[in-house]
Amino acid sequence: MIHTAFISFLASLLFIPAMFLLFGRSKTARIATCGLLLIFMALGAVLAGAGFWGGAGVGVDLSGVAPLPFVLAVDRLSAFFLLLICSVSVPVVLFSTSYVERHYEGMRRQVLWALLPLFIGSMVVVVTASTAFAFLFGWELMTLFSAGLILIDGDEGERRHSIFIYLLMMHAGAAAVVAAFFLFLGRAPGLDFATMRTAAATMPAGLRTAIFLLSFVGFGTKAGIIPLHLWLPRAHPIAPSPVSALMSGVMLKTAIYGVVRFTFDFLGAGPSWWGYLFLAAGALSGVLGVLYAINEHDLKRLLAYHSVENIGIIYLGLGASLVFLTHGAAGWASLALVAGLLHTINHALFKSALFLGAGAISDATHTIDIEELGGLLKRMPVTGTAFLVACCSIVGLPLFNGFISEWLTFRSFLAGSTLGNVQAAIVLPLMAGVLALIGGLAAACFAKVYGVAFLGRPRSSEAEHAHEVPLPMTAAMVLLTMACVAIGIAPGFVLRPLGAAVQGLVGGGILPDAAFSMARVIPWVAIAVIGFVALVVALRRAARSTVTWACGLPGLNSRMQYTSTAFSKPLRRVFARVYRAERTIEVSPAGASYFPAAISYRSVRTTSFERSLYRPAVDAIVSASYSLRRLQTGNIQVYLLYIFVALVALLVFVRFA
Amino acid sequence: MTPALNILQAALLVLMAPLLRGVIARLKARIQNRQGASIFRPYSDLWKLFRKQDLVPDTASALFRIAPVILFATTVVAAAFVPVLHGGALAGATGDFILLVYLLALGRFFVLLGAMDGGSAFGGMGASREALVSTLAEAPLLLGLAAVAILSRSSSVQGIVQWTLNQDFFQLSAVHALAFTALTLVAIAETGRIPVDNPTTHLELTMIHEAMVLEYSGPSLAWIEWASAVKLNVILALLIALFVPWGMAAEFTPAALATALAVYVLKALLLAGAIAIVESSVAKLRMYMVPDFLGVASALAILAVVFTALMR
Repeated sequence: MIHTAFISFLASLLFIPAMFLLFGRSKTARIATCGLLLIFMALGAVLAGAGFWGGAGVGVDLSGVAPLPFVLAVDRLSAFFLLLICSVSVPVVLFSTSYVERHYEGMRRQVLWALLPLFIGSMVVVVTASTAFAFLFGWELMTLFSAGLILIDGDEGERRHSIFIYLLMMHAGAAAVVAAFFLFLGRAPGLDFATMRTAAATMPAGLRTAIFLLSFVGFGTKAGIIPLHLWLPRAHPIAPSPVSALMSGVMLKTAIYGVVRFTFDFLGAGPSWWGYLFLAAGALSGVLGVLYAINEHDLKRLLAYHSVENIGIIYLGLGASLVFLTHGAAGWASLALVAGLLHTINHALFKSALFLGAGAISDATHTIDIEELGGLLKRMPVTGTAFLVACCSIVGLPLFNGFISEWLTFRSFLAGSTLGNVQAAIVLPLMAGVLALIGGLAAACFAKVYGVAFLGRPRSSEAEHAHEVPLPMTAAMVLLTMACVAIGIAPGFVLRPLGAAVQGLVGGGILPDAAFSMARVIPWVAIAVIGFVALVVALRRAARSTVTWACGLPGLNSRMQYTSTAFSKPLRRVFARVYRAERTIEVSPAGASYFPAAISYRSVRTTSFERSLYRPAVDAIVSASYSLRRLQTGNIQVYLLYIFVALVALLVFVRFA
Repeated sequence: MTPALNILQAALLVLMAPLLRGVIARLKARIQNRQGASIFRPYSDLWKLFRKQDLVPDTASALFRIAPVILFATTVVAAAFVPVLHGGALAGATGDFILLVYLLALGRFFVLLGAMDGGSAFGGMGASREALVSTLAEAPLLLGLAAVAILSRSSSVQGIVQWTLNQDFFQLSAVHALAFTALTLVAIAETGRIPVDNPTTHLELTMIHEAMVLEYSGPSLAWIEWASAVKLNVILALLIALFVPWGMAAEFTPAALATALAVYVLKALLLAGAIAIVESSVAKLRMYMVPDFLGVASALAILAVVFTALMR
């Protein structure tokens, strides 16, 4: 029964794209196929839920039709990530039924609809694969399908450059992942996960370290940890909004899956620097990600940088867990890993809600530059409310899901003080300060986003005449935010199965009771706060609407409001060393400081990493290529000489080696 | 018996909060050679505001009026975390200091949004500055609290207090001194007192919190004013409970509770006096000096946490 369901779910991800391509011309057929896709996604969610809550495993062996061992199987960790993929895909597809219909037409629309299930399908393959071949097959397709989805909107100018960087970095990352798998070849020739697991236990330390580092870099590139994040703020914003939601909400999580599979499942406890490496990457990505985000006013770029930040928070949890594993505290390792995984699904929920919200905004106002927005909550009440809930969740405020996972991370950092190792007992509690700083900066950033985009006066006539988006779009956002609130108020129903899921990954550590203490108090806090607010709102008298006092001037206009740039100025000034902004102000004619004819102001916003890390590397490669070009003379005699020299060298090699 | 006492304790923090403000204002006035208003003046101010009609800017959304109520609700719930008269509190056993800090953050987030809903320049200005101060205050606040939590091996506020009650004051370590200093600096920033913010100014060059709430009037303003008074009271009570809890009632007899109340009032008066003296003798910092101020707090809090590991 469950086996048939799993196979039909997998098959649907192949025949639904075909249906879109074949019958996608007619609107009825498209809507019917969308309905079918939603049903199968819901089926996938149910299957994954059965695996996650009930522990029901399922597998299918496709090695017969594939050139190499190709097995898909769902254990509890896979079930968790499958649940994440399906439960985010349902609202995203629902949103797309309206969004894609309104913004795309003809062949472009059909291709978009065909690629969407294929993209989801490739991620399903990644998280359910239990052989290296199946994993890499899905991993590669995931990159290609997502690049295809970005290309739907064209490849002019800057976009082509961004997609190129995306593909380049993804393939560099994939190369590292492939290398990490190949290091297992000597001891586990079939490269199926079960033998790799046993093989890793008997490996020499050097090989384990090599595998750890390769997987760290490979998956880190996909996850977008700093300094491997360069593609993320370029690729995510230029995709269609539902695709951005999938890329940021789901695709990044497959990297978390990969890194958990490799580091925790295959390798297990290692030297303590493994954990510290994760903590350092997490702290750097978290703090810099949110600082770069504050600097942005393009909503989707800003959200993309927040993905870097949240991946950082997830890495903090994983790193803490590794440190605990090294020092033999399996219980706390379980808590920290649960914190990281819970933040993974939380981020999937609120970040896709935010990206869908950005899609709804661009649908209603044709812009995602928040400097052009304002007053949208009054005009788009459902979108506005859903976006507010998602903002509160990502900031990590209590009653919302982000708080639960960040609290668990805090809790595991505090538990670090119980370790006998002095180094760990200092580093882990200090990480709580880093997490607090990230939380504070995120709060400032989202107060800015929400305040500028949804509150106050509209800053453009598009924003002033915005209307609420159609029902499927609002329903999608509401579904996601309801999940955020559910986990935020009653986290126990996710914590328990997560504890069971990670038990095998942390050496049998059982989730300590401390993990549930928040689940016991937060419902009462929710009742108290919501009850009090509801009571006051119900009982109070109506307010009188009036015009805001403009210090005696005839009236306020939208240009007198604080802008996004002005709002973040104090923080940018305090953290000026991070941005190292390059500003040039030119006054013409030169020297006319009082009555200039023109003043031009230019500020470059490339990040320090691009300037000091990537630019020199690219320059080095380019100059090396130029010097190699001297070999290419175009003269046939020279090429014959090369061949002759190569032949002689080979003969010498064969003779003496 | 205990739940009733705990509710009474939280109610005390909420209801006496305006009085604390009145006392501080009066003490300040006396230090500055003025007569000063009655110490009950904040109550009559609140009463006056609550009877007025709310005025809402025509551009504002429904969030504008809900934000102050959320601020008040979260601050009141935070008050239920702090032991005052005995070593326990309504939410003290399961509610830990992280939740306490983030409840205050929840309220503040909504006030930031409410400020930006007014549609004028002042709200955004205040919100931007408040965001700066609160962002930088968050890390030292959590680290300072973490240091004492680590010493007592408990993350619930009640657990920390009960551990401290069993210690001898003169045997408290340097961790306590460092954490107390850090948290005092943070408390000044969090509650918007001099030298970080001046609660009595309305000058656009300097005001932070007052700029945020400039468009509020009537009952909405009353909720905000009351909430910020409660916040001040809760943070002072937290400092007292974490660092000088001695004098709390060990058993629930009227005499013991009355003594505990008297001792608590004495401690609160001492802190109020300290605030009044500082506010009368220190000038407000330039806004871009506030990060340095909070940087000192952060450094002290980091040292406190490091020492917990080094000194065991």
